[in-house]
Amino acid sequence: MKRWVRVGIRHLFLFPFATLYVFPLFWMVMTSIKTNQEILFGSFAFPKQIHWQNYLEAWETANMRVYFLNSIVVTAVSILLTVLVSSLMSFILAKFRFRLRNALYSLFIIGMLVPLQSILVPLFLQMRALHLLDSRWSLILSYTAFGLPVAIFILESFVRVFPDEILEAGILDGCSPLRIFLQIILPMSRPAVASVIILSFLNNWKEFAFALIFISEETKKTLPLGLYNFLGTETNNYAGLMAALVIATVPVFIMYVFLQEQVIKGMTAGAVKG
Amino acid sequence: MDLFRKNRMFLFFGSLPAILTYVIFVIYPIFRSFGYGFYEWNGLSDPKYIGLRNFLEILQDPVFWKSFRNNILVVLVSVFGQLPIGLVLAVLLHRSFKGSGAYRSIFFIPMILSTVVVALLWSSLLNPQVGVVNHFLKRVGMGFLALNWLGDMRTAMPIVCGVIIWQFTGLYMVIFLSALQNIPKEIHEACSLDGVSERSKLIHVTLPLLWPTVMASVVLCIAGSMRSFDLVFVMTEGGPAHATELMATYMYSKTFAVYKYGYGSAISMVIFLLSFGMILAGQALMKRKQDVL
Repeated sequence: MKRWVRVGIRHLFLFPFATLYVFPLFWMVMTSIKTNQEILFGSFAFPKQIHWQNYLEAWETANMRVYFLNSIVVTAVSILLTVLVSSLMSFILAKFRFRLRNALYSLFIIGMLVPLQSILVPLFLQMRALHLLDSRWSLILSYTAFGLPVAIFILESFVRVFPDEILEAGILDGCSPLRIFLQIILPMSRPAVASVIILSFLNNWKEFAFALIFISEETKKTLPLGLYNFLGTETNNYAGLMAALVIATVPVFIMYVFLQEQVIKGMTAGAVKG
Repeated sequence: MDLFRKNRMFLFFGSLPAILTYVIFVIYPIFRSFGYGFYEWNGLSDPKYIGLRNFLEILQDPVFWKSFRNNILVVLVSVFGQLPIGLVLAVLLHRSFKGSGAYRSIFFIPMILSTVVVALLWSSLLNPQVGVVNHFLKRVGMGFLALNWLGDMRTAMPIVCGVIIWQFTGLYMVIFLSALQNIPKEIHEACSLDGVSERSKLIHVTLPLLWPTVMASVVLCIAGSMRSFDLVFVMTEGGPAHATELMATYMYSKTFAVYKYGYGSAISMVIFLLSFGMILAGQALMKRKQDVL
């Protein structure tokens, strides 16, 4: 077969399938700049004029501004904690020998298979006992705890292959383990840390179930939870809803456009776990 | 490293933050959940020990069995939908051609979206008043097919399954693509020297080499689909009349809507044991098949 025929056949199969992926997103953006009247009369039609109003309303009236800021705070703090805590733990697991090392490592790794829903109830009770319900800390701490297994999996395997000589040289120079960690291990693990950051960013930005059970106060809600409640307060405001969906998606989308390779690498590293 | 043996303080304080957070928010709750399953409790008053009665009740609860069947359906649809489609896409996109990069990026997009966004987007597309699907059917003169897709007992579950496939296929495409790229060039060269046709190369060389990846993906897929909650919760809340109920959404409504914490915990425990059991079974099954090959 000629090459162009082969490629043509591929397009013939792939193009309709790709339409199934692109069209919903295109429709989301298009609907977000229409009026609700226009949507009712023609779900397909282009807007007569661009109606930016929806974005303003979603941002101010429908509280998207508050949810957006909460999402940023929760995501940023939990990424920071995840990276600090997991990299220190990974360094210890990779380069120290101690009796319970293997048991500890397995304990963390098994965590990747725990279905989150199976511990929603006890975690809710835990947060209630700690008086953390309706606090951003409930989300930050649980995102950090649930991010640890994957983060440790990625970082430990990265740090393990560092040659011991580098660390020995550091010790002979009189560096404390903490300095070795901060000045040698962390800078050398930058690619793995980047994967962990990207993965936690996506996971925490998207997370819904924990937010649903921990948070009920309007001022503490994150984006997914706020979106879920959108139609409850803004009945039938589909144009506004689409604008809100676009607002929630823009940050991850920008990251995907600029860091596509790293995003895919980070997500598959988090997915394929042994 | 032996030199680090002296640094017990560092070892202790360095691992403390990770161990503490993990134990407090992951390990301890799992065991607590196992405990609550044996109690009758509304979350406020004193829990009352009732032995295995919650689990016996689960066995006779028709809604639980409905949700169990739906969960199995989601697992099957995911394993036999997402993986094969992902594999086909990977094979088609493996060798680059004009536009192959764009296709790859496009199919992966749903993976970066929040499940809540995916759920609300598809609910709107399928909405009887504003949705595209019914508008389209009416436009082409098939208005009689226009349904309240998510409100209809017959269509709700198939649609949820379809959206699940839509959402995660890209992940498996990417996993298979990177596995295809890891096949050594020499193997392809040997094939073309021996004059092996493209098709038999795919069946006899490429696919067997991908088998370990397929195995890992099946486990991943089972674990992932046993977790599904967000999508159904946002799209249908398990309705209409439990048609799309999953074990996790049922657990949620038992716990947080009617405050049967003990019963909810018992369901949690069933989810936990089932998904571990299925992962192990999946692994065992795939291993045996590999021996045959």
